[in-house]
Amino acid sequence: MHDPGAGRMARRRVEGAASEAGLVEYASKVPSAFAGMLGGLIEANVRANPAKKKDFDALTARVGIWVTDIDEGVTLVFDRGRLTVYNGLEPRRTITIRAEAETVMSLSNLKIGLFGMPVYYNEVGRGVALKLMRGKLRIDGLVMNVATLNRVTRVFSVQ
Amino acid sequence: MAVKFASDDWAKQFKDEVNKSNAYKAAAKGWKWTVGLVVEAEPDKNFPESRGVVMDLYDGEARDIKVGAVADAQKCDFVITAPYSRWKQVSTKELDATKGMLQGKLKLKGDLPTIVRYTKASQEMTECTTRVPVEWPDEG
Repeated sequence: MHDPGAGRMARRRVEGAASEAGLVEYASKVPSAFAGMLGGLIEANVRANPAKKKDFDALTARVGIWVTDIDEGVTLVFDRGRLTVYNGLEPRRTITIRAEAETVMSLSNLKIGLFGMPVYYNEVGRGVALKLMRGKLRIDGLVMNVATLNRVTRVFSVQ
Repeated sequence: MAVKFASDDWAKQFKDEVNKSNAYKAAAKGWKWTVGLVVEAEPDKNFPESRGVVMDLYDGEARDIKVGAVADAQKCDFVITAPYSRWKQVSTKELDATKGMLQGKLKLKGDLPTIVRYTKASQEMTECTTRVPVEWPDEG
């Protein structure tokens, strides 16, 4: 779990309170380590990058991420400039991503290329695409929500 | 030859392994932050006092790795904290460090986007620890 007291790192709070600028809140009084990490990562990205902030402000989606090899997941509820992070999978998800921990980390390392599209032709991108083809990365709701997935990827990516 | 865990000899061998690793060198290109490891005491495992490991890592090279006080490790840009037995699990490949962090078994303090950007480097760093033959205080 990342430590919310760290200097440059995005902060997180518990008990449903929003972070300083109201960007991220945690539905549970005790967010899981994974929830804290994802919430912290997205908040840090959005604060550091105006283009990601623009995407974040426009994003409305319920995104589930399930890490298959640790049996843990979160639901990220984006609501136009606010994010609520739930421990576990909540109902009515727009998109659900299921993958091993390493693949989830690869998703956050996807480069964003021309027209804000994730890059699938470099090493990380090829790895992600291959896992998708082999069924090691499953994205439910992908076909109907490609634009939303791309926007989530842009907010999530550290590249 | 096996060395005592979290000893000066262990730190030296760990540093040598990091600097021998071409995979680490490539993955950690551009890294310029210090990393502190805090190994929390577990007296019942014959590891009675917490120790800190300070790693001065720069652009794919381990410039220095030292074992010392916890307070020194906590001053680093990134700090990973876990009890002795968790570090043993990581060093013996029983626990994957990435999974351990996602599960909160290893507690991370530092800039998250940076550490995520260097996931591969941290995985390779973990591989380097597994190559150091260790005498564990709770064995033999």
